[in-house]
Amino acid sequence: MIRDTTGEKMFHMINHIFMTLLIVLMIYPFWYIVMYSLSNSKLAAAGGLFLVPKGFSLESYKTMIGNVSFLSGFKVSAIVTVCGTMFATFFTATTAYAISKKRLRARKFFTFLILFTMLFHGGMIPTYLLVKQLGLLDSYLALILPPAIGAWNILVMRSFFVGIPEELEEAAKMDGASDLTVFFRVVLPLSKAVLATVGLFLAVAYWNDFFSTILYITDKNKWALQAVLRDIINNAATTLSSQGISLGFQQEISESTVKMASIVVATLPILMVYPFIQKYFVKGALIGSVKG
Amino acid sequence: MTNGWKSKSKNGSVAGPGLVKDVIRDRYLYLLLLPGLVYLIIFRYVPMYGLVIAFKDYNILMGVMKSPWVGLLQFERLFRGPDFLQILKNTIIISTYKIIWGFPAPIILSLLLNELKNIYFKRFTQTIIYLPHFISWVIFAGIIMIFLNPVDGFVNYVIRTFGGEPVSFLTEPKYFRAILVITDIYKEAGWGTIIYLAAISGVNPSLYEAAVMDGANKFRQMWHITLPSIRPVVIILFILSLGNILEAGFMQIFLLYNPLVMNVGDVIDTYVYRRGIVDASYSLGAAAGLFKSVIALIIIVLANRIVKRFGEDGLW
Repeated sequence: MIRDTTGEKMFHMINHIFMTLLIVLMIYPFWYIVMYSLSNSKLAAAGGLFLVPKGFSLESYKTMIGNVSFLSGFKVSAIVTVCGTMFATFFTATTAYAISKKRLRARKFFTFLILFTMLFHGGMIPTYLLVKQLGLLDSYLALILPPAIGAWNILVMRSFFVGIPEELEEAAKMDGASDLTVFFRVVLPLSKAVLATVGLFLAVAYWNDFFSTILYITDKNKWALQAVLRDIINNAATTLSSQGISLGFQQEISESTVKMASIVVATLPILMVYPFIQKYFVKGALIGSVKG
Repeated sequence: MTNGWKSKSKNGSVAGPGLVKDVIRDRYLYLLLLPGLVYLIIFRYVPMYGLVIAFKDYNILMGVMKSPWVGLLQFERLFRGPDFLQILKNTIIISTYKIIWGFPAPIILSLLLNELKNIYFKRFTQTIIYLPHFISWVIFAGIIMIFLNPVDGFVNYVIRTFGGEPVSFLTEPKYFRAILVITDIYKEAGWGTIIYLAAISGVNPSLYEAAVMDGANKFRQMWHITLPSIRPVVIILFILSLGNILEAGFMQIFLLYNPLVMNVGDVIDTYVYRRGIVDASYSLGAAAGLFKSVIALIIIVLANRIVKRFGEDGLW
């Protein structure tokens, strides 16, 4: 058993201190915002450390949760995320499965077609014009379709499908199964892990997607949550006054507390789900990076 | 194609006898492939074709096909524009800073993480540092703006406590690029450690033991064993970073920039958005986008070739 030298002990100590500082650095900003949002705005306006709320108040949250545009944004984002994730995960899987089969004629060609989209793309303008030409502006589809299927996720799923033993397929085929049956009855049930991984990546992407709204949605009632959030962050006073809430007359809430409450509420879904699914993300990132 | 193919195509090529038979045999596979393929054609390849409007004067009423050709006129307009040089400069400078500071960050972080002996502390740290990657830029930009607020932001609170004058960070050109780089690292460095840690953990432990017996200290071990072992990963990721040099983080900049920092913060994508979408100069925007994509492709191909010439594995 080799003992650490003094120099190594020093290194470990510094490393641990550094990591602890890093953790604080990553957590503190969000903690600050949560505490501020729970504070009485008059007391909070003086600024400060915010380890605990200054004058506890839930008013900001009450204001935001009842807020019409905030709720509408939530609704839009929820619908887009659920539908988009299901749609994209399923069709990514079908595509990935097909090209995972070595016996597929022109497999290399199709794989290249898919991979090429990672190297080169039309860009903002042609994609925008396409969505416009398809008549999808201001529709849910404009938020669901353009980001849906990507080469990266296809590759991740493909790696997984390639790893499924051929014997399983052969056994099913001997029982008279077609490729479709094999896919739905044998492969998919076995693929829960990769479906969950890719699905979660997609869900996060959809939930966080802000730019699609900016590009394709002009009707404010159809804005996704991130766009509503940005609006609130940039000018809470205006947004709220259009709903009859005048911040100037408020005692407990202010532009700042309201903004922060919105941020907290918008982040909650991700934060709540995160600890449980972290391992899926890490695994997915690994597979994608190594194979891709 | 060529002669001498096996009678059953095992390698997924198109040519070779038995094509129709194989297609019929695999018809359900093609069925499964179809929706994704159609999607990619519509949403990825059609826009690629749509880039031709960079060579046209796109008129909405006439559509892509009928709009008149103008050759390189849009590109001339683009390159001769008063801001273009500045925009190109900003894009490259910001990206370069991000590469210089941001590329080593996850590597160093993963080397340090690897040294943590307590597995619970290590896992906890990792959980925390992955988190910013999942926060949307809207939220993160909001947090940044709150913290850097000249009136009641935390950073200025600290400055004032130490007797300094509050600074409006986000509207000062001299701070803007630094803010972009630092916050980008904050958001992504943690997540970036995943792949490096995976590579590091693949290193044969007996190499370390041998080095220790030769009297190597921690830093020598890292320098001579760990780093060279992860070199392939580093190279590939580096090539990809280079290929993205004209990207410069559009979403981040779009959410953080303001008229006061345009001269240092405006990049190609923000320009494309403003002129191409907002001003509806579609052809001009498409030309800028095409310029960006072509350069990115060239860089990646070149970088890949150079790396291979040095004997390393490239991207392909």
